[in-house]
Amino acid sequence: MPGPALAVAAALTLSLLPLTAGVAAAGGAEGERTTFTVGMSQDVDSLNPFTGIVSSAYEMYQLNYDTLTDYGQADFAAEPSLAESWEVSEDGLTWTYTIRSGVLWSDGEPLTARDVAYTFNRVMSGKYEQTNFGSYVGQIASVEATDDQTVVMKVKAPSPTMLHLFVYILPEHIWSDIDAKEVTDFTNEPGPEGIVGSGPFVVKEHKKGQFIRLERNENYWGKKPAIQELVFRIFNNEDSLAQALRRGEIDFADDLGSNVFESLDGAEGVTTFPATYSGFDEIAFNVGAALDDGTPIGDGHPALLDQRVRVAISHAIDTEALVERVLGGHGTPGTSIIPPLYEDLHYDPGASTYAFDPQEAARLLDEAGYTEGPDGVRTMPAGGEDAGRKLSFRLLGRSSSQTSQQSVQFVAGWLEDIGIEVKPKIVSEDALTEIIGEGTFDMFEWGWVVEPDPDYQLSTFTCANRSYKDGGSVFANLSDSFFCDEEYDALYAQQKEQIEPAERAGTVKEMQRILYEQAPYVVTFYYDNLEAYRSDRFTGFTPQPEPDGSLLFQYGTHSYRSIRPVTAEERDDVKSGKAKDGNATSSGLVTTAAVVGGGLLAGGLVLLALRRRRPEQDVE
Amino acid sequence: MSSSPPWGERVAGYAVRRVLTGVGTMVFVLVFNFFLFRLLPGDPISLYTRGRNMDREQLRELRRELNRPVGEQFLAYLANPFSSGVDSTQFSRPVWDVIGDYVWPTLVLLVTATALSAAIGIAIGIKGGWRRGSTFDRTSTGVTLTLYAMPEFWLGMVLLILFSTGVWVFPGVFPSGGTLTPGIEPWSLEGILDQAWHLALPALTLTLAYLAEYALVMRSSLVDETRQDYLVTARAKGLMDKLVRRRHAVPNALLPTITLVFLNIGFVVSGAITVETVFSWPGLGLLSYQAIRGPDIPLLQAIFLLFSLAVVVANIVADVVVAAVDPRVRT
Repeated sequence: MPGPALAVAAALTLSLLPLTAGVAAAGGAEGERTTFTVGMSQDVDSLNPFTGIVSSAYEMYQLNYDTLTDYGQADFAAEPSLAESWEVSEDGLTWTYTIRSGVLWSDGEPLTARDVAYTFNRVMSGKYEQTNFGSYVGQIASVEATDDQTVVMKVKAPSPTMLHLFVYILPEHIWSDIDAKEVTDFTNEPGPEGIVGSGPFVVKEHKKGQFIRLERNENYWGKKPAIQELVFRIFNNEDSLAQALRRGEIDFADDLGSNVFESLDGAEGVTTFPATYSGFDEIAFNVGAALDDGTPIGDGHPALLDQRVRVAISHAIDTEALVERVLGGHGTPGTSIIPPLYEDLHYDPGASTYAFDPQEAARLLDEAGYTEGPDGVRTMPAGGEDAGRKLSFRLLGRSSSQTSQQSVQFVAGWLEDIGIEVKPKIVSEDALTEIIGEGTFDMFEWGWVVEPDPDYQLSTFTCANRSYKDGGSVFANLSDSFFCDEEYDALYAQQKEQIEPAERAGTVKEMQRILYEQAPYVVTFYYDNLEAYRSDRFTGFTPQPEPDGSLLFQYGTHSYRSIRPVTAEERDDVKSGKAKDGNATSSGLVTTAAVVGGGLLAGGLVLLALRRRRPEQDVE
Repeated sequence: MSSSPPWGERVAGYAVRRVLTGVGTMVFVLVFNFFLFRLLPGDPISLYTRGRNMDREQLRELRRELNRPVGEQFLAYLANPFSSGVDSTQFSRPVWDVIGDYVWPTLVLLVTATALSAAIGIAIGIKGGWRRGSTFDRTSTGVTLTLYAMPEFWLGMVLLILFSTGVWVFPGVFPSGGTLTPGIEPWSLEGILDQAWHLALPALTLTLAYLAEYALVMRSSLVDETRQDYLVTARAKGLMDKLVRRRHAVPNALLPTITLVFLNIGFVVSGAITVETVFSWPGLGLLSYQAIRGPDIPLLQAIFLLFSLAVVVANIVADVVVAAVDPRVRT
């Protein structure tokens, strides 16, 4: 209830400004404990791990809670977390995890294998609990704590995800009070003790729309982080976020636009870092809209059912130009749907890459019979059902993304160069979701962020994930290209049971090869995550993966546990940076001087006005 | 005052009539508000649930509200637009709970900015209007017109760069956003001062953006009054210039400005949306901005309703206040 306090604040604004300045300056100098402040553009929608959707919420969950295993910092390989070791039976159907001993929850209660079993059983039996974590437990038949240190899981079939179960382990002594009905409304907002968890930090305070404050978990089982307090501040405007970083109000900014990112280049005490990232954008084709049972829907252009047309278009799109002109150079041209960041899984088409070559594109189209009509627009080949129909495609972009709109403009131009008419249209993301689901499009621009486990991304091209019908209406599912291929589906089922990473990687690459050849997508680029931080104050960031992945917002809390304040000597080494304490004091002095000066000036003006008013009375 | 019926009664009668018209307006807004959001294309449920593990049953449950016949939906909507039963799609909490978290900061910003801009604007208008053509008048008209022409977003950005980042001689002393420094107890003296410190820039932006209108209207209505015969009479009685202005001219010239202050509340709300975005002020403006990014229809609908209600109420208050002050309006 900040209301009354704020109201008083308003009343005091004018009268107490000088005093406030003094207090503010004093507050700044107080800092004994090390606080690391991150600026981000998205508030946490819910602190309840069963409810939240947005990525900032997941960052809080992983700081506050632990998982059994983690994705490694250097290369995403599975590494111990709450489970210090694990074993899998010969047939791959029984997994035994050994839980660390002596782990305490942040409230001092002991954490045992029973908490782990409780959490998994809750997710497996609860419908609501499954919305966020169901994909991790689908293959699990049973979970049991055989003693305080051992969890045994039985699976229905061998599964590679058993080392990547991103289910946050919750304290049974807290969550058993929240039943299946209450959990849907449960906000999990922190009390005075904070949110009870076992992660390296504890959420202590959430001021909606403003900030989330975490403190170091003094009971943490691992190495204690050097930062004692972690604050996430929410900015609704990228420019203010950048200004806050310049001022040193925040120490880290993530997910910046390229203009703002470049404006920070060379700012005093700030280091900019274009991190390679796991996101890509694509131009998708409607390769034959249908329901999951195969019933055709929508009104996609028949030419796009032809793989040759899609390949020709791939040749017509200059992905390098998109990276330069849309991303400002902060990205790499795209090929397959698993980004090169995941070195072991990414398929590189090498010599068979569809190089930018409009002449080749035109040649392919001519060869396939899509010849130019009198108005310069190509038509469907003679003899076919749609003979003579113009190659005129609807291309949809997203209103919420500048990148999307620019990409659409460029692609439309390139396609016109090879005799394809394009009708670009910009719509909102939810409108586009509906249009895609109903299959009433030809092409669109969108993107995905790919998880270290490729299963989810690969599933978006399976036949079963095409749209579905429910109660007479058609709804979108995960597939947005309506790609459906028997061989691909078989490989998808196969990789789901391959425990050996190298073996599975082979299957995953083969699937990407099929996709690249069939071209339901033209992956336009893998964009960088543009980050910037106060290198005059903090150091020790660990990128995931090495050497140039994201510094924060990773899979795991690696960086938060290794960041430390810059020492005095290190600071002297940085030539541009003035000593931070000196800065704080001088800004305090400037504050006081400015306010006093302003006050004097205002007083002077009032005096002047009064003096000038006197003769007025005698005018008449 | 005239004979029958007494002043108080007539004002009360007028107020009742005015409230009834206000209720009529609200009914129209309610209906409009309902259909406006039904016309938006899109499938927000699919968008929000993309990538979540939900079976058809759960999705059907989520869509049930949207899939009911429009007539049925409308009746339910009319029955309790302010009910707590509807969840925001984005926050998975009842919409009025979500709004409750964000309403105070907007109210504080709105009241501070309105009070400051009205007070300063009227003072400038009086001084300029009374001595028309003086240096002060010409300067203040120029400055206020310039401020009036500036978009709030841009003005906010400029103030942010000057007084938060700090360039050239300008001290970067104000915080770049929010209402409170993390870790400070909001109820302590330090907390209250800290909040005032955070309020300064957003309130200043809105004040500068709106004082121009008050200054200009006050000035022109005072200029009109200076030509009136009753002022000549007042002067003939031997009243000092200062008293003529304070007792006779200003009270009469004030009426249009009062109306404007209340009428403007609607515009200040819209200005607040952009200013809250610039300064990351966690108010309703920011919330509606977030709601549009979904769109989160239940939340948007509730915010629209609240804004419309605020404007209608402000209008009623304006009319009744003017009626109480100015006998010509009551009939």
